[in-house]
Amino acid sequence: MKEFDLENFSREMPFTMPEHFLDDMTERVVSQIGKQRKQKKERKFVALFAGAASAAAVALLFLHPFAQSGFNIPDYESISQCASVDEVFQTMSADELGLYSMMSNYYGN
Amino acid sequence: MKRDDSSIVNSQGSLSVSDESIARLLCDDSHVEEAVRLIMKKYGEQLYWHIRRMVVAHDDAEDALQETMINVYKYRSTYSNEYPLSSWLYKIATNESLKLLKNRSGFTLSVDDLGDSLKDSVREEASPNADETLILLQEAIALLPTKQKMVFNLRYYDDKSYEEIHDIVGDSVNTLKTNYHYAVQKIKDYILEHQL
Repeated sequence: MKEFDLENFSREMPFTMPEHFLDDMTERVVSQIGKQRKQKKERKFVALFAGAASAAAVALLFLHPFAQSGFNIPDYESISQCASVDEVFQTMSADELGLYSMMSNYYGN
Repeated sequence: MKRDDSSIVNSQGSLSVSDESIARLLCDDSHVEEAVRLIMKKYGEQLYWHIRRMVVAHDDAEDALQETMINVYKYRSTYSNEYPLSSWLYKIATNESLKLLKNRSGFTLSVDDLGDSLKDSVREEASPNADETLILLQEAIALLPTKQKMVFNLRYYDDKSYEEIHDIVGDSVNTLKTNYHYAVQKIKDYILEHQL
């Protein structure tokens, strides 16, 4: 029997690759990468916008006069229903009275 | 960055741009698409045939090659120039081929159990005028255990050194040599048994 030697075999493949396959594949891959890059940019922008909006919301909370003063703001609706004005004034601290006076002036009360 | 070196084509019509240049473009966000084009131009055909020899069917090779190139883009930051670019590309292509075969084998079978089905695909996929000996050789390769198949293909068809195969497959050089030896023996037995 003839000595078997793989080196005598052709390195050819019994299959074929369709014409223009690699060019078409390149275009498909580049287009897909382009889409992924665009989505990544959009996600980055949304994250940046959400971050900025959150920061602005937090800053607003801290800058708001009531938040800054830390006062207990009287619940006027419940006061009018449950107690007389004099009773309420008696229970208010000096700071709260100051705030009430400021708000009264503001609303022309 | 010097960009005109990306379109250098030598007298044989193949791309002679260096791997270093491609790697530099790949790491540069504004040139990544250009880098992918260059990789496809320089290595696309080699990668296609490497995958095709593993998965046999053209449609599967197409899917695996596309995923390979998308992963090249996604994981470009993991490329280290300590290794040749081609080894990194072959490694991704090998992983994608194995992933595709694993998906096909399902939960109950291993990739090695796909031998008979891959062997049947060889005849279905072969060109009508293909040489019978070449078909027999591919059938024999299809029946090999996966590791032996990878090592044999990389050595026999891609002319990779054992050191390069080590970069791609990860086993020690001695283990790779043993795998190649067994692969050749099994192919020889199959062809002698089936040759007309």
